[in-house]
Amino acid sequence: MTAVLICLLVMLALQLLTPYWWWVMIVPFAYGAAAAKSGWKAFRTGFFAAGLLWLGTSLFLYLTGSGLIATRMARMFGLGRSWLMVFVTALVAAVAAGASGYAGYAVRALVKKPGK
Amino acid sequence: MRWVRAIVSLVLAAALFWGLDNRHGTFPALGKLLNPFAGFWQNGSRSDAVPENLVVPGLLGEVRVVWDARHVPHIFAQNDHDLYLAQGYVAASLRLWQMEFGSLYTAGRISEVVGPVGLKQDIFTRRFGLPWAAENAVRAFRNDPKTREVVDAFTAGVNAYIRTLDRKGLPVEYKILDYKPQPWTDLKCALLLKAISYSLASYNQDAIMTQARAALGEETLDRLFPFFPPLVPPVIPPETPLDFTPLPVPAREKPAGPALGATGTPSGSLLSDFDAPPSGAFLIPGFRTGPGIGSNNWAVSGKLTRSGFPILCNDMHLELSLPAIWYEIQLSAPGVNVRGVSFPGAPLVIAGYNESVAWGFTNGTDDVLDWYDITFRDDARAEYLHGGEWRKTSIREERIKVRGGATVVDRVIYTGYGPVVRPKDEPSIAPASIPAGAALRWLAHDASDEFSALYALNRAGTYAEYVAALETWDCPSQNIVYADRDGTIAIWHSGKFPLRWKGQGRYVLDGADPRDEWRGWIPHEQVPHVENPERGFVSSANQLPAGPGYPYYVGWDYASFERAARINELLAAARDVTPADMIRMQGDVLDVRARAVLPRLLDILRNETAGETEKKCFEELRAWNFEWRAALIAPTVFDELWTEITRSTWRDEKKGNMEGMPWPASEMMVDLIMNSPEAEYFDDRTTAERETLTEILKRAFHAAVANIEKRLGRFGEAWKWGGVKDTSLGHLCQIPGFGRKLPEADGVGHVINAIDTKWAPSWRMVVELGPEVRAWGNYPGGQSGNPGSRFYDDFVDDWAAGKPYELVFLRSADEPNPAVVGRTVMRGGK
Repeated sequence: MTAVLICLLVMLALQLLTPYWWWVMIVPFAYGAAAAKSGWKAFRTGFFAAGLLWLGTSLFLYLTGSGLIATRMARMFGLGRSWLMVFVTALVAAVAAGASGYAGYAVRALVKKPGK
Repeated sequence: MRWVRAIVSLVLAAALFWGLDNRHGTFPALGKLLNPFAGFWQNGSRSDAVPENLVVPGLLGEVRVVWDARHVPHIFAQNDHDLYLAQGYVAASLRLWQMEFGSLYTAGRISEVVGPVGLKQDIFTRRFGLPWAAENAVRAFRNDPKTREVVDAFTAGVNAYIRTLDRKGLPVEYKILDYKPQPWTDLKCALLLKAISYSLASYNQDAIMTQARAALGEETLDRLFPFFPPLVPPVIPPETPLDFTPLPVPAREKPAGPALGATGTPSGSLLSDFDAPPSGAFLIPGFRTGPGIGSNNWAVSGKLTRSGFPILCNDMHLELSLPAIWYEIQLSAPGVNVRGVSFPGAPLVIAGYNESVAWGFTNGTDDVLDWYDITFRDDARAEYLHGGEWRKTSIREERIKVRGGATVVDRVIYTGYGPVVRPKDEPSIAPASIPAGAALRWLAHDASDEFSALYALNRAGTYAEYVAALETWDCPSQNIVYADRDGTIAIWHSGKFPLRWKGQGRYVLDGADPRDEWRGWIPHEQVPHVENPERGFVSSANQLPAGPGYPYYVGWDYASFERAARINELLAAARDVTPADMIRMQGDVLDVRARAVLPRLLDILRNETAGETEKKCFEELRAWNFEWRAALIAPTVFDELWTEITRSTWRDEKKGNMEGMPWPASEMMVDLIMNSPEAEYFDDRTTAERETLTEILKRAFHAAVANIEKRLGRFGEAWKWGGVKDTSLGHLCQIPGFGRKLPEADGVGHVINAIDTKWAPSWRMVVELGPEVRAWGNYPGGQSGNPGSRFYDDFVDDWAAGKPYELVFLRSADEPNPAVVGRTVMRGGK
């Protein structure tokens, strides 16, 4: 839980300071490579941290003036409802972050002594 | 095992990263686009908020921008430089993506953005010489100190805005297509002018007419496509006396006939390999050319108005799109206070009014584009025959960068006339309207400085100043209507026209024969014009500019008679006219063509209806008031019936491979129906019997009803005109979800309210020139180019319903006005 929160806050700060989307992959990767106890935990942490960050931010924007653009984007993607864009946004970040968190852990596992 | 897991998970993560970070075909880079901190989520309506203070580098003094409730900027500056710099900044803040995409398009550079799918279009744009034309125009801008100041300041303003943008602030289309804006330049302003010329002054049927001549002979074509067609009232009333002594006109020194024979090119082969026009997907609105383009304008003298003040009206028909082609603006500085509309990529107000005068446009539709068949010495095409000598060609190397591919180099051959757009032996990239192996002579290629005309028009206070302003308006030629507070009304068919014999350039000309060249120009003061005509109004609807009394030939392929006839009929009967009457008139959908022919057609069909559906269709037509209303079925039936009559009348005249031959204009058909129902044209030459209008009409009616039934199913709701017409505003790049449909819109291309499927009045304006100038206007769109803004398309419904807004026109930045909702102060920075 703490790991999710820390990851989320670090990503939030980096995303506010720079325009790059891929912090949601880099940060979980770093967490997975540096601190995660297991592959599953690395995946879960990235998944929830990034998913919640993008879910919360896009939902806030959706409700405060970006509803119309979300409606148009949903139509562009052939989605029936505009709120699905919030869902898709969160899902993309969550999956990308989860996968990269897991990859981070898997790389670290290579240098760790087996059975440690 | 751990290695496998590490490699698989790394590959998967890397694939996700790459997949989300890049565009795939037309599918956007999802990671960038969905990123709530910099992607599309940032393109909401929060950006509509008006900043109170802005630092805009380059400003000399303070500029105040007053925003009204419809998000129209009213710019007050202390000098010209600041005025146009602020305009550039504001235009970019509203419409940057549209401005830039338009300029890339005209420069033949969309492949840089969209990849190989844009290549064919880019090659065509460059072969047609549009970038070359813009470069020539830039040279003219730079030679005129005033234009140079305006264009440079505008450019600086656009760039000042671009520099404020981080990725988050980019218009959403950049994020979807995944690219960034490049700096604005004066060349981009010129490209915009050339895009307009392409749209309005490049339509021609020379190739197809040449083929038709080979099949039918020139005499027949002169009858089918007369220079002075029946029923068409010329723009300049025929009784208008000439106020000048005409120059001698070049005579046609050689007999009519296939000039092309001389060069060994059988005319029939000009079009031998028909090809579809460049793929429509990236033909952006405002850049397509075609016969559907039209516009209306008129001015009514104070003698005919209730207030005693003149009223000027204008609606320019262009292709519908979102973001809209126009945006509204007021520009005020010492010496100028002007209000109207402009193209986002251009400085100045293009159509509008100031405190003294108003002006508006319809396309001149003249012929300023000719094709010259070229005889090359050999396959190297380094020399071509001209006046018995070999002349050298030159090569312009066009380097087209392609996103995700290698740069394509296209070597375009230039003759003294201009580029060879479509070499004979190459796979065709061009529409069929372009004759193979011919060189293009086009007025828009010549250096010209239309911005100087607009600069002067923006500041005109008198009729004399308006006339002087038009002197540098070369291309596209326009009917420029005028009215002022002193009570003068006028219209000038303004543009630069080559001196030619009657009909010169209607067919492909002989590039080897110097007698076929353009020889001199019609002096500006001698273009068709009229000031304060007896009848109390001036008007135009893209029709023939002047009657046989006018000494020069300027073109033949003008709009058909309907809109012009209807406008003149309404104005001739007008008394005590008010602005409200004029607004209603802009919404008029009565079809004079249907009114002229339908009683006769119904007479013939009276006892010919077979079956329930045909009877219902007949009833619809019988009860019709000739208005093209969305909720009626009669327009659908008439539309199909007219197409069928036209088709079955002319089809067999176009013997052989003549499918591309144009159909004679509708006034020819009306004239035949009303005056020569026995005419030989009605005879279907493919049958043994001799048909007249009666037989042709019966067949056409049965076919029309059957066609509609096949297309739309049983007679009913689906047959209503609105749904059939299917008016739609597509996004410039056809992004799904960014456009909209307007099934409830009345109208059709040939009535005054010309809302057609894709073309429509792009800006409607009514100006009353009293002591306080008052004006009303509307356009299909909204001020913002941001699809996430409420100002993106907020005018559309009122526009479709024919409801204009009274335009806010301020005398000063401090003037209290209930419509003012925000103020921005701009100051220069380091």
